[in-house]
Amino acid sequence: MSANCTSAAAVSASKTKTKKKHFIGQKVKLFRASEPILSVFMWGVNHTVNELSNVPVPVMLMPDDFKAYSKIKVDNHLFNKENLPSRFKFKEYCPMVFRNLRERFGIDDQDYQNSLTRSAPLNSDSQGRFGNRFLCSYDHRFVIKTISSEDIAEMHSILKKYHQFIVECHGNTLLPQFLGMYRLTVDGVETYMVVTRNVFSHRLTVHRKYDLKGSTVSREASDKEKAKELPTFKDNDFLNEGQKLQIGDDNKKYFLEKLKRDVEFLATLKIMDYSLLVGIHDVERAEQEEMDVEGAGEEEEYENDGMGGGALTGSFGTPPDSPGNPLNCGGFFGPGEFDPSVDVYAIKSRDGAGKKEVYFMAIIDILTHYDAKKKAAHAAKTVKHGAGAEISTVNPEQYSKRFYEFMSNIFVGPTPPPPTHAQLRPGGTGPSHLLHSSSSFLFAPARKLSH
Amino acid sequence: AIAASIASKTKTKKKHFVAQKVKLFRASDPLLSVLMWGVNHSINELSHIQIPIMLMPDDFKAYSKIKVDNHLFNKENMPSHFKFKEYCPLVFRNLRERFGIDDQEFSNSLTRSAPLNSDAQGRSGARFHTSYDKRYVIKTISSEDVAEMHNILKKYHQFIVECHGNTLLPQFLGMYRLTVDGDETYMIVTRNVFSHRLSVYKKYDLKGSTVAREASDKEKAKELPTYKDNDFINDGQKIYIDGENKKMFLEKLRKDVEFLAQLKLMDYSLLVGIHDVERAEQEEVDSEDNEAEDDGESDGGGVGTPPDSPSNTLDSTKPLSPGEFDPSIDVYAIKSAPRKEVYFMAIIDILQHYDAKKKAAHAAKTVKHGAGAEISTVNPEQYSKRFYDFIATILS
Repeated sequence: MSANCTSAAAVSASKTKTKKKHFIGQKVKLFRASEPILSVFMWGVNHTVNELSNVPVPVMLMPDDFKAYSKIKVDNHLFNKENLPSRFKFKEYCPMVFRNLRERFGIDDQDYQNSLTRSAPLNSDSQGRFGNRFLCSYDHRFVIKTISSEDIAEMHSILKKYHQFIVECHGNTLLPQFLGMYRLTVDGVETYMVVTRNVFSHRLTVHRKYDLKGSTVSREASDKEKAKELPTFKDNDFLNEGQKLQIGDDNKKYFLEKLKRDVEFLATLKIMDYSLLVGIHDVERAEQEEMDVEGAGEEEEYENDGMGGGALTGSFGTPPDSPGNPLNCGGFFGPGEFDPSVDVYAIKSRDGAGKKEVYFMAIIDILTHYDAKKKAAHAAKTVKHGAGAEISTVNPEQYSKRFYEFMSNIFVGPTPPPPTHAQLRPGGTGPSHLLHSSSSFLFAPARKLSH
Repeated sequence: AIAASIASKTKTKKKHFVAQKVKLFRASDPLLSVLMWGVNHSINELSHIQIPIMLMPDDFKAYSKIKVDNHLFNKENMPSHFKFKEYCPLVFRNLRERFGIDDQEFSNSLTRSAPLNSDAQGRSGARFHTSYDKRYVIKTISSEDVAEMHNILKKYHQFIVECHGNTLLPQFLGMYRLTVDGDETYMIVTRNVFSHRLSVYKKYDLKGSTVAREASDKEKAKELPTYKDNDFINDGQKIYIDGENKKMFLEKLRKDVEFLAQLKLMDYSLLVGIHDVERAEQEEVDSEDNEAEDDGESDGGGVGTPPDSPSNTLDSTKPLSPGEFDPSIDVYAIKSAPRKEVYFMAIIDILQHYDAKKKAAHAAKTVKHGAGAEISTVNPEQYSKRFYDFIATILS
């Protein structure tokens, strides 16, 4: 499902924004948080990055690095009880590999550490698959996802090939940027977490969000979902709205090239059920929201930290002394502008588009392996019976093709008219003529896919 | 404690110190790597804890414990499995502050480069190390010593508060337990009695008793032997310090030994080190002649000080001339009056409690018998008086 760090709408943000939030000077990090597990997380990331700073960077990674881990167990007595539990454990998986990945993704270890430790990560109200918990670093640059031990095992299985893929594409990919993987033990309970770069902007609000898979079965936001501040819409919603992303031909070409490479890679690893997360920032709407906020606020809000809108043009949640704060940068960001080295997934709408928008698009949820699914599906099949028991029998190869086909048509281009209801049959994969669109030469000739 | 002659023969030329950021904790012994790692960790942890206005009773019972278990990671300089425990972290942080020692500098001294083995022997062969910059001494102690430290810590701390850190007692700066390969080692860090720069050519360990208080032949064969009371007297050794210095010194000594007597501690010594200015100047000239090239990094009388350390005379705003010292670092240094000498004098080995001694003595008495079995029956009060009188006499 969708990772969402800007889930609170601008309206609620302006009501709950923290005024004059003072950020503690760099040296003292108290790891203060609302929950012990977050304090342990902050302590752990702080510790592991510090440890790594004393380990020389090797010329290249070794096979052992993909099996390695660091483990630390803390047992304090009448000491440091104020912000941390007295007992906890912190394990980091493959520290050298993730350090190397961070470097390849252009993330400095100190910055990474600061983002996760200077102030507590924030809860996100979005739900992952099976209710996985999401958090956001306080500066909205990174997403922290709680995962299962099976996910950990899957990560280990794919890590070498994933790393190799990142080397070959020079970090230029729409795949999740895996930056760190940890196991925390607090009060005897183990929690697994993985850190990825936020798909959305750390500054610009997302006003509309889609989770797209390229299938149309049960791909519609529920009423409960629609009631949220920032609902996660899905494939059917996207199609029914006649939504099109206006990114221009060059951007589209470049984007689809990356996408093709990425989904082919996922197919070779027999991974499926991933989504394309799409976020849309409406520039004019953001400007309007800011004016509303400025009207409402009595005092200057350079230190405003909202999850949604920002008091300053596009700035929120960045501490005064962080490089992300426009007051600090050499260049001041105008409406709808962004730093592509920070908001790496951002694409501006093309000139001449009806609306000025910025799109954030990347692949998420890549840890479902086909074999694991099949096992679960067979187990379920023997329990459920008959119609209504919708179990996909699409394989990873088919999934990737269907996925790619769908995504290649979400942009403005030589598009056919939107599909009619007759063409959107249950169990179908959408209008058959769409299968012959621009992307068909990239795969085997389109054939009628069974579902 | 290392004789100038040894130092000049073995001093490290052009020793390159790793830039501040990366600390590899590289050492000849895994135990030292763990010590370096542990002190580095402990000081970092403390930097994230707000300094309390005052210490609480719980702080004297507290400890921090950490256990590391790495797998195929960081194996180059560290063991994969080890434990590090710090006793009463907030208390020792407070003591360091009262003794004028900055935590970052303390950490740097112990972690930037591995501590050095010292050939000095403590009571019962306790092992000694000095920090690479010679500011601190690391002594391996027993678990009984750790227990004794806990017993006296509150009163010791109170004493330090009252005398404003101005004392000849050991400056206890940190106490740790290290576990490597399943073996536990207890260590305590104190400020070095001797100078971090000026060499000591003669050393005495004085107790004020005359029974078996003579350096053995084996000891005399060492580079810098530890001489004792009888040697001091037989050598006709004198400590020449002027009236003002003598007065201040004896006042401190009196207060200190009274405190020790109250706590029923005894068997401590006065450690005396003598730096001879002319002798040191000559040694430096000799070592410069021995060198093929001028490395430009030798500093007056100094040994092994890294180029970027504040004690390096090349760095300080005013270079220290022969026999001169910074009293905020070499806190025990006293210039001699007529002679060109510098003395370093302070009390050491204060953890022997009378009750523990008595038990051991009784046990021994029932085994040994008769004459020759010299077991002191002096009590702490008597010991302190005898000690004080002896020292007062030698200072005339």
